[in-house]
Amino acid sequence: MAQSLAKEFTKGLWAEIPPFRLVLGLCPTLAVTKTVENGIGMGVATAFVLVFSNLLVSMLRNLIPSKVRIACYIVIIATFVTIVELLMQAFTYPLYLKLGIFIPLIVVNCILLGRAEAFASKNSPILSLADGLGMGIGYTLALGALGGVREIIGHGTLTFWGGTPVFEMGAWFHPFAFMIQAPGAFVALGLMLCFMNLMGKQ
Amino acid sequence: MIPALLFMLGIGAVCGIILSLSSKVFYVYEDPRIANVENNLAGANCGGCGYAGCSAAAEAIVTGKELPSLCIISGKEGAEKVAQIMGVDVCSAESPLSYSMCEGGSRAADKYHYMGISSCRAMAVVFGGKRVCSVGCIGLGDCVKACKFGALQLGPKGYPVVDDDKCVGCGACQQACPKEIIEVKTLSEKLMKFNQKQDPLAPCAQTCPAEINIPRYINQIKEGRYKEAVQTIRMRNPLPLACGRVCPHPCESECRRGIEDEPVSINQLKRFASDYEMDSGSRIPIKCAPDTGKKIAVIGGGPSGLSCAFFLRRIGHQVDIFEAMPKLGGMLRYGIPEYRLPKKVLDWEIQGILDLGIKSFCHVKFGADFGLGSLMASGYNAVFLGVGAWKDYSLGIEGENLDGCYTGIDFLQKMSSGKKVNLGKRAAVVGGGNTAVDCARTLLRSGLEKVYMVYRRTRKEMPANEVEIVASEEEGIEFVFLAAPTRVIGDDSDKTTHIEYLKMQLGEPDASGRRRPEPIEGSETLLEVDMVISAIGQSPDPSFKEQDPHKRMVELELTRWNTIDNDPATMQASIPYIFTAGDAATGPSLVVEAIGGGRRAARSIDLFLKGRPVEPVKDSLQQKRIRESIFKKVDGIKKTPRAKMPEIQVDGRLDSFVEVDLVLPEDTAHEEAKRCLDCCRICYNPDTDFPIAGNN
Amino acid sequence: MEDLFVLAISCIFINNILLAQYLGNCPFLGTSKKMETAIGMAMAVIFVLVMAGGLTWIVNEYLLKTLDVEYLQTVSFILVIASLVQFVEMFLKKSIPALYSGLGIFLPLITTNCAVMGVALINMKEGYSFLEAIVASFAYAIGYGLALILFAGIRERILLARVPKPLQDTSIGLITAGIIAITFMSFKGMV
Repeated sequence: MAQSLAKEFTKGLWAEIPPFRLVLGLCPTLAVTKTVENGIGMGVATAFVLVFSNLLVSMLRNLIPSKVRIACYIVIIATFVTIVELLMQAFTYPLYLKLGIFIPLIVVNCILLGRAEAFASKNSPILSLADGLGMGIGYTLALGALGGVREIIGHGTLTFWGGTPVFEMGAWFHPFAFMIQAPGAFVALGLMLCFMNLMGKQ
Repeated sequence: MIPALLFMLGIGAVCGIILSLSSKVFYVYEDPRIANVENNLAGANCGGCGYAGCSAAAEAIVTGKELPSLCIISGKEGAEKVAQIMGVDVCSAESPLSYSMCEGGSRAADKYHYMGISSCRAMAVVFGGKRVCSVGCIGLGDCVKACKFGALQLGPKGYPVVDDDKCVGCGACQQACPKEIIEVKTLSEKLMKFNQKQDPLAPCAQTCPAEINIPRYINQIKEGRYKEAVQTIRMRNPLPLACGRVCPHPCESECRRGIEDEPVSINQLKRFASDYEMDSGSRIPIKCAPDTGKKIAVIGGGPSGLSCAFFLRRIGHQVDIFEAMPKLGGMLRYGIPEYRLPKKVLDWEIQGILDLGIKSFCHVKFGADFGLGSLMASGYNAVFLGVGAWKDYSLGIEGENLDGCYTGIDFLQKMSSGKKVNLGKRAAVVGGGNTAVDCARTLLRSGLEKVYMVYRRTRKEMPANEVEIVASEEEGIEFVFLAAPTRVIGDDSDKTTHIEYLKMQLGEPDASGRRRPEPIEGSETLLEVDMVISAIGQSPDPSFKEQDPHKRMVELELTRWNTIDNDPATMQASIPYIFTAGDAATGPSLVVEAIGGGRRAARSIDLFLKGRPVEPVKDSLQQKRIRESIFKKVDGIKKTPRAKMPEIQVDGRLDSFVEVDLVLPEDTAHEEAKRCLDCCRICYNPDTDFPIAGNN
Repeated sequence: MEDLFVLAISCIFINNILLAQYLGNCPFLGTSKKMETAIGMAMAVIFVLVMAGGLTWIVNEYLLKTLDVEYLQTVSFILVIASLVQFVEMFLKKSIPALYSGLGIFLPLITTNCAVMGVALINMKEGYSFLEAIVASFAYAIGYGLALILFAGIRERILLARVPKPLQDTSIGLITAGIIAITFMSFKGMV
């Protein structure tokens, strides 16, 4: 049990890490990773929804009639998304403004529905929780990494909460603004995928 | 709080009602499996699979365009469930492997110097490639680049070579190849491949009724890879030992080498490879696809039945053979004498087929001992009827029932199964076909003093194999040509004493192109014999149709020659779940024809069991020739005589039933294989211009 | 009228939904492997986006606002869009099979396409009138189709090219999309 729990948790961190291995949930990946802060914020929000929706779907898996299951999953996910939206509005308003419509759009992130259907609907709540947590953390890490890369190249800084950069490139470095704009997002993600392919699955 | 609750309830209810109503109103029938499969896909409609939504993906899976593992989200479990719905075994869905049609040989010189990007696709756009061969591999390795698993490599000859262990059957190479020569196929698909008009086929492979890839196995023999050669043959022919001995090899008459020189001794090479396996003492393992759980009854254990059973088993179905005679083999056992095909060899070969997991029930006659009803009740999903043609035509002359008169197949069958036959001293065999020759040679070996062969026409028109006729001449059989028996004369105790015949002369050619023999009035001649064997042809025995206790066979339609009426392209009979091939469908014909028919029937049965329409193979060649591949002239051949078939001396033959023809020694087989021109395995040199037959 | 035209142009080119707003990327990569699929998908997006744009505007204006439950936007929009798509799919299948075979199979793909949901949310955020919402939805959809078809064309060409192994497939696809996005950036001066 403990072993499979660990397995379900860790697979989301590397072997099946979204969006690099499972090429899903690309829109927020591209849109909000201008800075590492945004990336992690988005990742945490998604992870929150993922964990709770996985848990609830798993708990209700025997009650939901299979014909309307997709609709039920969507409603469950949408509920948690609304909760996250309200929470963020209340506690992290600046981040809420930065992420904009991508918070409500967590609803249509295929990772959530995909995990609900592929995993939570078939496994016990505890395993589903582990799966959700693993995938959520993996997604957060991926978004953070992408945000970090884009921020360093695009701004020349690396900023976590608090406003003061924890890391700054020297004055010699001329920020490469292309990276924080839309095209840069595509190129950066493309290169990240390439990097992951080079690293292999192990 | 309250408005929010009310709102959610309201909007939920409205959506629910509208959708459930419209699902009733706008109901359109579709394959229930599609909905079922869709339920087991992730349902996220993410498009990651490349299909537009899960229902489109489900449809692609159900229609067989995609594998159950299509969905990228639902993972292994989902794939297993889908596989279950599709009736494929859960853990063993058959895995396809990459397979290159173009197998390489020597390469021709380039048409032009190519400086473009190193990509097959780009070069295919420029005049279809830089070499003259318009079918074959371009050789720049797009497929190798496309393979993510390192399973493909360009071999030493510049063609992709597949590493079966690494290939996962993803199909990337197939997509990358601009010439459709590398394909991802399952074992079943490879086994059920039939010659098509667009295939690169050597004339011999076009001609072979079993559609064996002849140049491929000859090449394998040339390279000393005998086991692979046997496997190549077994992809199309389960009875290489028998065929290597008795096949009249129509392929050899189309051999391109035969245009300028003697044709390659193809059948001898087949026999060499298959004898190599038998003499090595161990059987080469035969791969089968995973079980499908479908059950088929094969009625008749002759060549067509064995072939159909063999291929059905290899593509994963469960097969039971029912045979009326005491042992399997059909005409191979009971119609072909020991000196041509020793029973020991046949037994070894049939055992190899049964070892795949085919059950056989002998001594049960369809119609008399069991019927269609009982087969259906036992859970068989389809029936193959390969009952052969065992009923001899009678001569229709006075006295043919006298003591000492036999019919051909009846006689051979009695001899083969060791039943007592009253042999005389002098015999006349009526007929000019293989059965007649077999009867005559068997009689000679049984100690008769004189054997005549009485035939209506001349030696030129004899339908028997040339080799057989020559051998019987050598052995001292006397031929009486242009003779039509008119009556058999007996003594007081009804024992045969003479056969009377009319002398004939040849008239104008008839529809079949043979000159019609006409009797010469008053030319009655007597021949002193005490045995008369009439072997003038056979037809299937349709008695099972009436004997069937449930009268379900009544709907089975027969032709006016008593053969079972079927669609020659699909082998399906007038009852949809009955398929038939071999002599029962074609009338007496070649073993290799029955083998080819059995495989074609296996393909149709497989389609039928999968619930797909039983359609003919598209652009199927079915022994028609590809016109531009039949040359009139082949240049540059240095004449080398073909390997002589070793045989035992005439004086050693007649006192026993020892096999007459011997297998080629290994070095001779090598030399013979080297004579093969590798047709359709080389891209022709542009400087040599091959005249094509029919184009003058 | 002029305003609507400017709105349309800016929605198609400058704020292109795929390349500038980052919406609808999953099916963008999935369905752009072949030109044929890309065209079908583009048509389906145009069809659904306009209908969804109008319907969600009505739901927002007359239901959510009147009942003062705007925080239920996400839940109600996704429900409405999912039901709409399913309804349209069933309707087309039965009534206009020819149209269904062309774009019907792409409809379900749009349910969880963030482009549809995203456009609905953008419309509300910008406070468009009904007419503006319809025009914007249509223009966004055209922009989506434009980018998708351009991209599919390029991807078919990429098959010819020699791509290093780790970059193959999605990776090179994304980089290509980035380059198309650069070209779309140059539209910024238009309006």
